[in-house]
Amino acid sequence: MLKIENLHVKLEEEDKQILKGVDLTVEAGKVHAIMGPNGSGKSTLSYVLSGRGGYEVTEGSATLDGIDLLGMEPEERAAAGLFLAFQYPVEIPGVGNMTFLRTAVNAQRKARGEEELSSTDFLKTIRAKAKDLNIDADMLKRPVNVGFSGGEKKRNEILQMAMLEPRMCILDETDSGLDVDAMRLVSDGVNALRDAGRGFLVITHYQRLLDHIRPDVVHIMADGRIVKSGGPELALEVERNGYADILEGAA
Amino acid sequence: MTALDDIRVKEGVDAETVDAVKALSGTYKHGWNTEIEMEYAPKGLSEDIVRLISAKNEEPEWMTDWRLEAYRRWLTLKEPKWAMVEYPAIDFQDQYYYARPASMAVKPKSLDEVDPKLLETYKKLGIPLKEQAILAGVEPGPEDRKVAVDAVFDSVSVGTTFRKELAKAGVIFCSISEAIREHPELVRKYLGTVVPQSDNYYATLNSAVFSDGSFVYIPKGVRCPMELSTYFRINAENTGQFERTLIIAEEGSHVSYLEGCTAPQRDIAQLHAAVVEIVILDDAEVKYSTVQNWYPGDENGKGGIYNFVTKRADCRGARSKVMWTQVETGSAVTWKYPSCILRGDDSQGEFYSIAIANNMQQADTGTKMIHLGKNTRSRIVSKGISAGRAQNTYRGLVSMHPKAKNSRNYTQCDSLLIGSHCGAHTVPYIEVRNNSSRVEHEATTSKVDDDQLFYCRSRGMDEEEAVALVVNGFCKEVLQALPMEFAMEAQQLVAISLEGSVG
Amino acid sequence: MVADPRTTATDERLDALTLPAGNGWLHAARKDALGRLRAVGLPVRRDEYWRFTNPAPLVRVAPAPDAPTQTDDPFDGVDAYVITIDGDRLDLPDGAPDGLEITTLSKVAEADIHWVRDLYGKLEAAGSRPVSRPFAMLNTAFATGGLAIRVMAKVSRPIHIRTIGGTDPILHHVVKVDADAAVTILESGTAGARSNIVTEVDVADRAAFDHIRVQGPDHARHVNTHLFARLGTGSAFKSFTLSANGQFTRNEAVIELTGDDATAHVAGAAFGRDDLHHDDTVFVIHDACDCESRQVFKKVLRDGATGVFQGKILVKEGAQKTDGYQISQALLLDDDSVFLAKPELEIYADDVACSHGSTTGAIDETALFYLRSRGVSKRVATDLLVLSFLTEAVDEIADDGLRDHVGGLMADWLSRD
Repeated sequence: MLKIENLHVKLEEEDKQILKGVDLTVEAGKVHAIMGPNGSGKSTLSYVLSGRGGYEVTEGSATLDGIDLLGMEPEERAAAGLFLAFQYPVEIPGVGNMTFLRTAVNAQRKARGEEELSSTDFLKTIRAKAKDLNIDADMLKRPVNVGFSGGEKKRNEILQMAMLEPRMCILDETDSGLDVDAMRLVSDGVNALRDAGRGFLVITHYQRLLDHIRPDVVHIMADGRIVKSGGPELALEVERNGYADILEGAA
Repeated sequence: MTALDDIRVKEGVDAETVDAVKALSGTYKHGWNTEIEMEYAPKGLSEDIVRLISAKNEEPEWMTDWRLEAYRRWLTLKEPKWAMVEYPAIDFQDQYYYARPASMAVKPKSLDEVDPKLLETYKKLGIPLKEQAILAGVEPGPEDRKVAVDAVFDSVSVGTTFRKELAKAGVIFCSISEAIREHPELVRKYLGTVVPQSDNYYATLNSAVFSDGSFVYIPKGVRCPMELSTYFRINAENTGQFERTLIIAEEGSHVSYLEGCTAPQRDIAQLHAAVVEIVILDDAEVKYSTVQNWYPGDENGKGGIYNFVTKRADCRGARSKVMWTQVETGSAVTWKYPSCILRGDDSQGEFYSIAIANNMQQADTGTKMIHLGKNTRSRIVSKGISAGRAQNTYRGLVSMHPKAKNSRNYTQCDSLLIGSHCGAHTVPYIEVRNNSSRVEHEATTSKVDDDQLFYCRSRGMDEEEAVALVVNGFCKEVLQALPMEFAMEAQQLVAISLEGSVG
Repeated sequence: MVADPRTTATDERLDALTLPAGNGWLHAARKDALGRLRAVGLPVRRDEYWRFTNPAPLVRVAPAPDAPTQTDDPFDGVDAYVITIDGDRLDLPDGAPDGLEITTLSKVAEADIHWVRDLYGKLEAAGSRPVSRPFAMLNTAFATGGLAIRVMAKVSRPIHIRTIGGTDPILHHVVKVDADAAVTILESGTAGARSNIVTEVDVADRAAFDHIRVQGPDHARHVNTHLFARLGTGSAFKSFTLSANGQFTRNEAVIELTGDDATAHVAGAAFGRDDLHHDDTVFVIHDACDCESRQVFKKVLRDGATGVFQGKILVKEGAQKTDGYQISQALLLDDDSVFLAKPELEIYADDVACSHGSTTGAIDETALFYLRSRGVSKRVATDLLVLSFLTEAVDEIADDGLRDHVGGLMADWLSRD
């Protein structure tokens, strides 16, 4: 489904190569995890896939269901079914969470040639999904992410994911800043979305998130490349021995 | 022994008056007078006076013409009134425009030939004109830091130290009058290119009548081996000081320059109208620090210096950098806006200022940051302190031109009020003409924090000490920007300037 | 001798105007204002108070020929007592809420003694010190109409003053809110190619005055308004203005807090494009203790539009425990737009906490990306962020219903902009 080939990326502003040839394929129905030390390029990969400015692709390709992602605007990628759960969700004062979600849902439906969701249907859906994530009515009314705790922000990201029903989900360090209870809520939300037609790419520094969201494949990223891939046991190896051993072995 | 004890009693001044003056003030350390034979040009301003100043300095014809052009221009100008300062009309014909110690009639060839009275004056000010390692009052550090001094007494430079050592590095540091004679090609190329003759009323006046000042030239790639400084002393009565400073930093060079100013305590206000021009080429960096401690007048507003100064740095080169740091504690009236023209791409300007106004002082000071080049950066940190019946105004301009893409400015202006009869004002102008630049301005005005004062006093400090400590804390960001030589002096000055402001 | 351009322009403008006939107190007030105007003259570009805004469109004898076409009532759906001023026609409909005495300027001129006499031109004259406001003087002298509103109790429904028609109207309203009374005044309308509106408001002790004004979204208009207010002890004043488009807008507000414990909030949200020029000039004077003032001004500019903010907090000697705040922010959506600001503090009392801030910059790229990554188009994402940016100003509207109404209006106008 998501196919990344020989992806090379540098910063637009300075001459710094971040990704140096990433190859990765995520199949529908599978959960892939990317682990790696700080500065290995994990977050950059998620930004480049979703179309954030400031990066320049110098070589390689990334496609979703055979469609070139890299030539598209961020909103076109979203409409194509790509979703990024941000490591640091952005606060938007003055824009209600509900307004934001409705605008997003309907924009995507419109882009796909579907009919806009009526207010009643939208409300019904969002209330049900919010309940599963323990998001109360107040959080829906408040401005997007403003005054939300770290856990609330991450739950809000998963709520957006649930509402937008993307084909391919990227979770960028979703576990950062979460306590055990919040992590369980978030993981349950993600697990509920797992199905045969949907792919996941879970980016994380620590193994603990993978106890809750069980990956099918684990990749280790270092210095802008995937240096090792394996099953869930690879994550446990990182947990036991740290990155240094693995990187040495891979070199 | 306090500095006041050694005021010399001039003839015709009775002892009672002296005692009264001592009892009243005693806070201004440098209010004494040097008894020395002076030579004056006739009072008043005319083309003849302009020619005479030029002749005294043995200037070439082009310089005389330049001055005359400025003088004629000045006659067409009106004194600016927009600053928040009030002072009686200045009678420009009732001033001396040129005063030099008689002993300076024949230029001394070296410091050894300088009149001992003049050397003594500077020694007393803590600026011995000896080629010693450091300024007096500062403990020698592990590195033997040297400071070269140009000493300007009324209208003339009396001597410049360390010239030979500087010359070895290719650095020219001398009086501007000497530079006009010895390095006319440099002076002609740069004089008036940063602050044009017609810039403003006082700058134009200065262009006509400036008598001396300092000249600095740092060649390409040279890091000036020591700090340079000029020490200005106004001594004569009814005499205006009009100095002109020109600093040229060639590509990749670096210099730190210090400036200090004091004057005797006199009942009649005196005029000081200086111009400083700085030209900074590619990758060069100039740091300009001022401790302005002109006589502020007494607590009833009698006497003091009217300080009307135009200072501007032109960052012509790419990646050039200027940093202005000023501690303004003196003068009865201050009108001063050291500015940065950020012309070169990636150039940077910084302005750090402490302005203290006590008693009847009035200060209207700030900066201009003119962003012309791409990716230019500027930062303004201004700390104003008002006490007594003083008025203190920050006035500034931040201008982002259409071509100054991706530029940044950050301005922080804080004012502190001590007592309920003073004023603190903030007048920033912000002009943004492109959208890739970001401008942020913040300003606050408040009184000295009672909790902080109480905390200090509960630890045994008296109220004045506590205020001085809190105010020093308030100014810390600016004090830290000063070179070590000045930081200590400035800290003490903050305390002295606020004496009598509480209780 | 060459004639002074200021004198020439002033003479030309005044020659084209006629002082309404009369011989009572109103006529005297008009003549007084005319005298003051003659003494200072109309502004010229080099005047400090007009350094960012060229006064020419207000000075010239005839207004620009374009006339606005907007006819919708922006407060449609709000339960209010609506007074429509259509050109020279001013009818007071029945059904005014209790606690009000409303009449017209032409009516009060006939009375020998009237409370308006103590206010008409008086707050304007006081507000012209230390900076003269010549167009307000012109208004006092030549006003062709206006309302006199006395508020004697807490009025339940807002009063909506709707100004339509006319080509170059000069309107002068006087509002007196008695002690413990309260009123909300809504203002809307196009009022010709050029309009000059002065409102003088006297808010007595413990009284409350709420003012919500909308200007727009038509483009072909030149507007100059002055709001002069005097606040008594414990009174509360709020004024919010939404401006959409408009070739030329200069909204001046002069608010003097004369009684202790008073509060004054002035806010504005403005957006527009092309040759829009929008100027907020605000002067808040603290002349009493324990008062609070707040200025919140936001502008969104695109395609070469110019925004101006001149705001000043003056704290007079003795006005201790003043809490003064001012923020002015501009969002420039492209490289051609311009924001010019002069946020000032002038403070003569020590026990105060005053601050101001001003920021100018482009839209937050991270926030824009966040929205777009959720599938929202760049255009809609930009609109959402613009709304987000303007919200802090709209939040100054105290009434929930009116705040939502204005917020909705803003979103609607913005989506059509």
